[in-house]
Parts: sequence; C-alpha cells; structure tokens
Amino acid sequence: MLARIAHELYWLGRNLARAEFTARAVEAVFQAELQGTSDAAPGVSFGSGGLLAMFGDVDESQHSSQALGQLTLDAERPGSMLASIERAREGARTVRDVISAEMWEAINTTALGLRGGGQPGWTAPAGPYLASQYVKERTALIWGVSNRTMLRDEAKCFLDAGGLIEISDMVLRMLRIAMPPGDSAPADGQALILLQAVGGFHAYLRAVTAPPNAHPVARFLLFERAYPDSVAACVDSLNDVFTMADAGPRNSKPVLRVSRLAADLDFQRRALPDGAELTDICKQTQQELARIDQDVAERYFAGAASAGLRR
Amino acid sequence: MHFAIRFLTEYHYDAPVTDNLNALRVRPATTSTQRCDEFHTRIEPEARVSRHLDYFGTEVIEFGIPTSHEQLTIDVRARVVTSAPPDPPEGSWDGLLTPAYFDAAGEFALPWQDQPSIAGLESLHDALEAECPLETLETLCELIPDRFEYRPGATYVGSTVSDLLDMGAGVCQDFVHLSLVLLRRRGIAARYVSGYLWAAPHDEGADSMELDTHAWLEALLPCSDGRGEPVWVSADPTNRGLAGEAHVKIGHGRFYSDVPPVKGLYMGGATSQLEAAVTMSRLDPQTSARA
Amino acid sequence: MSSRAPTPALDARGEEEAIDSYRPQAPFLDELFELDGTPRPTARALVEELRRLGPAGLIEAGRRRDAIFMQQGITFETSGGGGATHERPFPLDLVPRVLSGQEWRDIKRGLAQRIRALNHFVDDVYHAREIVREGLVPWRLVVSCSHFARAVHGIRPPGGVYTHVAGCDLVRHSDGTWKVIEDNVRIPSGISYVLENRAAMARLVPELFASYRVRPVDHYPQLLLRALRSVAPSAESEATVVVWTPGPANPAYFEHAFLARQMGVELVEASDLVVRDDVLYMRTTRGLERAHAVYRRLDDDFVDPLEFRSDSLLGVPGLVRAYRAGSVAIANAFGTGVADDKAIYCFVPDMIRFYLGEEPILENVKTYLLSDPEVLEHVLGRLDQLVIKPTGESGGRGVMIGPHAEEAEIARMRDVISAHPERWIAQDVVRLSTVPTVGIDGVLAPRHVDLRPFAVFGERIDIVPGGLTRVALDDGSLIVNSSRGGGSKDTWVLEDGDDADRAGPPIADTQPPALPDLRYGAWTGQQQQQQQLHPPSPQGPQRRKTL
Repeated sequence: MLARIAHELYWLGRNLARAEFTARAVEAVFQAELQGTSDAAPGVSFGSGGLLAMFGDVDESQHSSQALGQLTLDAERPGSMLASIERAREGARTVRDVISAEMWEAINTTALGLRGGGQPGWTAPAGPYLASQYVKERTALIWGVSNRTMLRDEAKCFLDAGGLIEISDMVLRMLRIAMPPGDSAPADGQALILLQAVGGFHAYLRAVTAPPNAHPVARFLLFERAYPDSVAACVDSLNDVFTMADAGPRNSKPVLRVSRLAADLDFQRRALPDGAELTDICKQTQQELARIDQDVAERYFAGAASAGLRR
Repeated sequence: MHFAIRFLTEYHYDAPVTDNLNALRVRPATTSTQRCDEFHTRIEPEARVSRHLDYFGTEVIEFGIPTSHEQLTIDVRARVVTSAPPDPPEGSWDGLLTPAYFDAAGEFALPWQDQPSIAGLESLHDALEAECPLETLETLCELIPDRFEYRPGATYVGSTVSDLLDMGAGVCQDFVHLSLVLLRRRGIAARYVSGYLWAAPHDEGADSMELDTHAWLEALLPCSDGRGEPVWVSADPTNRGLAGEAHVKIGHGRFYSDVPPVKGLYMGGATSQLEAAVTMSRLDPQTSARA
Repeated sequence: MSSRAPTPALDARGEEEAIDSYRPQAPFLDELFELDGTPRPTARALVEELRRLGPAGLIEAGRRRDAIFMQQGITFETSGGGGATHERPFPLDLVPRVLSGQEWRDIKRGLAQRIRALNHFVDDVYHAREIVREGLVPWRLVVSCSHFARAVHGIRPPGGVYTHVAGCDLVRHSDGTWKVIEDNVRIPSGISYVLENRAAMARLVPELFASYRVRPVDHYPQLLLRALRSVAPSAESEATVVVWTPGPANPAYFEHAFLARQMGVELVEASDLVVRDDVLYMRTTRGLERAHAVYRRLDDDFVDPLEFRSDSLLGVPGLVRAYRAGSVAIANAFGTGVADDKAIYCFVPDMIRFYLGEEPILENVKTYLLSDPEVLEHVLGRLDQLVIKPTGESGGRGVMIGPHAEEAEIARMRDVISAHPERWIAQDVVRLSTVPTVGIDGVLAPRHVDLRPFAVFGERIDIVPGGLTRVALDDGSLIVNSSRGGGSKDTWVLEDGDDADRAGPPIADTQPPALPDLRYGAWTGQQQQQQQLHPPSPQGPQRRKTL
C-alpha cells in the first residue's frame, strides 16, 4: 500500500488512542480531585498537574477544573481530546476509501459532537467528566467498528500499530510522572488512581492478589501480558502486526527491534524482584519505543515521521 | 453394672452418592455414675474421623466420604461401667427461685421455643400439682405412660409435642419432649437425654439383647436443705420411674436435635434404606439380677 | 421516581425564596441550619451552591440521577399492591450531610471502642464467660438470644476476630450528642450505597464539592480485602477470598456483586462450595480450588444444615467442621448475632468498662429490658410513648413507634409483649436530627436521618469516613429503612488540619520527554490545504506554529 496512506492510518490510530487515554485519565482525576485525601496513604502523585505535565504543559498556577477543561474541549491545546479527535478526523478523511464507511462516520460524528463546547449541559463543573465519558464511549465504538468492518490487511495493521505505540507511550509517560525516581520516590502506598486512569482497575483486581499499591500496579501496567493495555501486551501485539504487515520481517529493522523489546520486557518481569525500582525500565522502554517509531517511519513511510522528529 | 454395647448402623442407597457427611453422638459419657472404658468406631467405606466435644459436653464424631459409594456402615463398640445414682433430693419449691438454681438451669429452664401454647396441656399441668419438685417429677413419670400409648411408628423423628397430644401415642422421644414442656411450665429446669437402656425382663437373666437407642430426661431438683447446689436427677417417663444403673447416657441437650445419635447428609438423588441395631451385653456376674 | 412530573420552573426570585424559607422543626436539631434559618458555618458554602442550583436545577439533577442509577442497575425492589414488585432507582437525596473532622474523630474513636468490646464479648460467651461469672450479664439472657450459636462453642477464629464487618447505627439527639441505637455485627449491608452515592454525587452535582475537602470513601473494598486476607489461614498474598451470596433473589445481591467485583474475588453461592476432609473448596473449571476466607452474606441459620437449621438444605454441609478445624476464616464469624441482640445491647456500656477498662465514648439510648416484671408493668403503661423492638431482628422489622402507632396496634402489641416479654425491648423515642432534603417539587424540607458507619476489623479497626446516612423521606417519619420508604444521603466528613499525616507524596519534578511529534512530516503542506477548507478548525494555529 502507499506509504502515505500507511502513515495516515498509523497516525489515525495514534490520535484515537491518545484521545481515549486522555479521556480515561481526565475522568479518574476529576473524580479523585473532587474529594480530599484518603485514609489510605497514596503511593503516587497523579492529579491534574501531573496530567498536564504528561502533555508537556506544566503550569502550577492552574486550578484543577481549568486544567481538566483544557484537556477536554480546548481546541488551542494540542493534547486536548478535541484536538486529538479533530486530527483523527482529518486523517480519516484522507483515507476514507481505505477505512470502512461506518468507521468514517463514527469518527466524524465524534468530532462533530465535541465541537463548539460539546453537548448542552457540558458547561457545568461536571463538563470535563461528561466530555470524557462521551469520548470514552465513542472511541470504544470506533475501535469496535474498525474490528468488525475493516479487512484484516496491511491497512488495519498500521492503524492498530499506531494505537498500540500510543497506548504504551502514554502508560510509560504516566508512570514516569507519577513515580519519580530515587529519594523522592514515595512509600508504597495505594495507586488506585493509576489503574483508574488507564481503566485497568478490575483487570488488576482479577490478575494480581497484592493490594493496588504503587509497585505492584506499576509492574502490572508494565509487564502483565494478559492485560491488553499494559506495555508488554502492546509490544507483543506490535510484534504481531508488524510481522504481518512487513514484506520481509526477518530482516526488518522495526520488527527485530520490537521483538527484542518484547523479549527484554519478559526477561525483566522475571528478573526484577518485587519492589525493585522501575524508573529506569520505564525510561529505556520509552526511548526504545521512540526508536521503533523512527524505524517504522523509515521503513514503511518513506521517512515521513523521522523528518518531523528531526525538526 | 458392666456392659458391652455395639451400635451398628447400615445405610443402603439405591444409587451412588457422594459427599456423605455425618456426625455421630454415640459415645457413652463419663459422669459421676458412669465410666466409658473402651470405645471404637469403624466406618465403611473408610473415612478419616475427627472428634470434638460439643456445647453440651457430648463427644461428636464426624466424618465425610467424598467418593462415590452405595453403602455406608457405622459400627460402634463400647464398654461401660455404671453405678446407681444417689437418692434424689427433696428440696422445696422455694429452691427453684434461688440464684444458684438460676445459674445451673440456664437454657434448660427457658420456655419451650416456638411452641407458644399447646392446647390440651392444662389438664396435664394441673395433674402435676405436688408437695415438692421431686414429687412432681415422680408423678410425671406415671402420668405420661398412663395417658399416652407407647407405639413405635405413631410418630416420626420430626414430630412435635402437639403431634403427640393429637395422636395420643408416640415413642420415648415424644414422651420426653412433652415431659420437658410440662416440667419447665412448673419452673423446673429439664433436659433431654439420649442413651442406651439395658431393658432386660425382670424374670429372665439374659446376657445379651437387641434394642434401640433410648431417650429419657434429667430434671434439676433443688437440694434438700435449700442451700446446696441443685442436682440433675434422671427420670424415664417411658419406663415409669427414675432412671438407674441400667441407663447408659450418651449426652444431653435442650431437645432431641441437640443430641441425635446419627445426623448426616449426602449428595445425590438416591433414597436410602436404614438398618440400625443396638446390641447390649452384660459382662459382670448377674447375681444382682437373679436375686 | 420515573413518574415524577416535571414541576413548572420557578422564576429566580422564587428559587431563592425556596431556600430562604427553610426552617428547621423544633425541637429537632437540624444539621445544616440554625433554628432561625441561617446556615451553620460549615454549611454556608453548601447552602450557597444549593441556592444557585435552585429547585429546577435539583429536579434536573434528580432526573439524571435516576437515569444513571437505572442504567447501572443501582436499584432496589419495592412491592407495590397485589404482590407485584418493581424496580426503582435507589433514592439518593442530592443534599449531602456534612460532618466536621473533629466530630468524625470522636465518632470513630467511640465506634472502634464499641466494636472492640463487642468482639471481646463474642469471644467471652463462647469461651470463659467471664462477664457472666462477674455478674454483669445474666447467663439466662445470653442463652435466650435466638442467635446464640451453640454449634460454635469453644471455636476461636484466627486472630480472635469475630466481628470483621460492623455497622452500628447512630443517631444525633436534639442536644447534639451522638447515641448508638443499634449494633449490627452479623451481616450489615449498605456500604455499596456509600460508594455509589459518592460517585453519583461527584457526577451529578460537582459544584457542591467546590468549597469543601471531602474525605474519600472508595478504599473500603481494599480495606475489607486486606482484613479478610489478614485473617485467612494461609500466606496473605496467596489467600483466596470469596464473597458468599444467597443468590440473585436476595435484596442485597447488588451489594454482594459490587463487593466481589471491587475486591476482584469470586462471588459464590452454596452450590459452588464443598467441604472435603475439613477443608473448604470451590468448584472451578480446573477442579476443586481451596477457599481460605469467606465473606458470607447470609445468616447463621442457612450456612450449614449439619449444624444449624437442619430443615434448610441451603448451606454448605461441613462448613462449621472446616471452620472448627481452622482451615477457613469466616467473616463475620458464626455466632456474632449474640452480640447485636437488642437485649444484650443494654449491656454494651458495661462491656466496654469490663473488657477495656474505659468509659464509653458513645452513649446508648435509654432501653428497658422487659424480663423484669416491674419494668414490664411500667412499659405496658406507656406503650404510646416508647419504641418497641423485637430482640432478635434487624432492619426495622417488627418495630413499633408508640407515638405514631394506632390504638389497635398498641393493643395488639400489649398482648404480644405480655405473652413473651423476653423477646422484646422498649426504648425512649430519640429525637433524630434533620437534614434538608429535596422534595418532589425541588424545594428543601427537614427530614430525619440516622448514620451507619462501616468498620472493618482485621489486624486493626478501620472505619471509612462517614457512612450511610439514611433519611426518612416522609414528613415527620422516623423510619429510615430503605425497605420501608427511606432514602439515603452522601455523608461528607470534612478534612481539617489534623489529617496532615495522610498527605500524598510531592508531585514529580521529572520532566517527561516531549510528546511524540504530532505533525505529519513531509505531508504537512497537504494537511495545510485541508486545513484551509475548514478555517474554524481549532488546531489550525498549532499546526501553523510548527511550520
């Protein structure tokens, strides 16, 4: 398929995943910040400030509801849900003939629903929450439609690859913000907020017997291959989709890099004792993902994204 | 007296059953007038048993058979020595109102649960008017067999006191339940006793006999001077009198379901057929019986 | 609720009057307003926000609440006429109840003390009976409790903990003091509503939270799970915990499923469990799997047909055997009902002094034990002024409120009590405090409330801030049970300076790497073209900046 089309699909996936992740995180933070401190000592710090920091925007003076508002419907912020969805919509327009009609409609409707302040009633203090709910539901629907209506071919692979790269990057980003390294590392208190921000609360409860404290939660989000949004699971799936999409996976740079990263994560899961610091792994993995992103651009998109990175 | 007791229970199921769980209350108690020297149980199919004393002090033997089976045998053997109880105290009615009596009576003086009013009790109640609690107890032991017929099959294991009053007939379990109700109405604490009874005919010096498990009661009587501890006195309303050394006690409770000899449950839709028999043999020379 | 007709919107002036005309009903204490109708200091900001919302706003939020609750299945069944039941959304009132941090700390200390004493008592009655030998509690009274469980005599559970989950009902008297009206140490329910209420309030009326720091409650399931694991006879991390429900027909099934889901453990029914060789297992697709701790949500009577009610085949035969062998922890332990019997309730202050050597922090309501003939005489003479309760029941069943009862009802009660005085107690009528509550027309009116905080007892006693506030929705009614037309409120415990020890860790000062480039590299120009087709498209400026 055309490199340009593959590139658009890849970014369509990334933008959709980013909007979805942002929505989940905003919802979790909104709920948590309405209330005071919990009896259960927190082991991580992740609030509206941290959320903004994830998108590279640190502004301590911001009031929490303002911060969340910026991440939802503020068209001026590149990290807002609205911006992500608008970019996804543009990308979808470009590849309308490649994706299914249902999928285009689902994306288009979502963007229309978010524009101009969103739905009536979203102005209340619950606005960020309601908008997040909407985006969560809509993105779930978009992914569902794509799974049921798109041919499982190269195009679907690049769409999925974009989503997978974005999710793992977001999770790593969040972990690095919430669990700073070294002396400033908090005691192993509860880390429910991280699970809620990813939407993995129930999955965690069923997969892990330890209480949802910072270390076991971080391990879960990094290594649990049975949980679809963990970094390890995303990397595994990336390996699958690139292997399928690549014409010659045996000597493909991105495929080799991805499979090496998958093996690395699996090794570290077993090698690292419980409670070991995970900061370095988060950092290395994120760097490795950036390199994969670059390799992908070079091999499949005729160097498109790498041009962007170099700038 | 010195007895060997064998209690053999066999269940036959008409289809395989699993998870057969049972609790046995069959071991003769050790009391001031009774000693259990030897005691064995054998379960077939084989099962691990565990034992503990229940709230009333009765030894409970529990076992479970998880695997599929169509027959269950419970074979219990015991050797017991009994002696005659001391003479019952003749304390007055006032003795029923002392704190010491209250403490000793506990739940055995509480009104019969779940049976608020039983029609037809009044005349029986009136007939038990007496000089002292002991006399009431003795009267009761005559009154019940006078008014009711002992007829196996007239009632079943879950029968109530009302059933006995309606039928006019029953077995020892029913007689005891009715007696407990009447005694408690008179303010006398009374409890259900489960056990074995050596019921050899007086004229025949049999060494061994086949029988069933038996039930009688114990009533708490105030001591004669009104000051000492009240005493539990055994009485057998089925056999018209106070109980003696022919009675081998297993345990007591508020009513039958506190001391059932065998209680069990199994999985499966099969129906079971039960064969149970108690064989008692006298081991000591029967001079006293012949004299 | 769905039949609630939309009220014509009041004009702005009318809305303000709606709140300003609110007056507490003397002699009852109102928790948000002074007698003259001015808001109490802690409630000022809340009242301001309520005024801003107005009746129309409250009605609208109520409509959204009902829709959300119906969608999520947070409902309960009420029986209409003719035996037909229908599902209604759980009636959450939108005006929260506010407790100060100091007030809460006192309640919490008082509850912890009381629960510790009740736990001691359970242990004592099934073992040494010291409190009986000391002459403080009559043995006769203990053995006449319908929940006194002879089957578990002499069994001491792991850690000596019996009352893992406790929910004592508190009321606030007109003089401001808190009193315990009833202890619940069997299977108290309602915690799911505490959590769902808070989540719903945050969604529906987040503006009310604006000026407050309200202590969260959502860690309850984790507290419970930790407590259950800590008493399980296995390594803590390997303990398999299950929630045992009687089944979907149970009115509290929603809560059972909620707790199992929130703890990430299996929700089991009796047929899923089996005892083999004194060990409890659950039947799974991979064969039998051991269960170490059971949070059971059904009464003693139905847990084991071999030991409790033999006419019930509902339970798990042999469960008491496994419990006795120490191979499984049961929460709450069997036989705890003896401690929340209404007749035993009178002795709780004595228990606290006897077992803990402390003075009770929370008071009892004046209670009359009817087994004493003189007391009985006195009570029968003034049945119309007292509350009469059956000793072995909970959840408001069988309760008669004298001042609200009709002549015939009182006469009937007189006969019943005279026949079995030991099965009843009488209590003085408590003047339950009121909290403003939204009526059908969106206007606030004072309604009576009580409070059921939930305590979890594992290695220590934890109590989630607040609890379930139940509210009588009818004017003047004192009956707050949801099965009898009561509703509930979100209960706010406010943070104050003394909670500093729980402050979170500092925000990370590590700067994350920049977001992956959002731009489209070589094809930017083309994107720009598309951009221009949609001038108002919001990301335009961003895109241009990068060029």
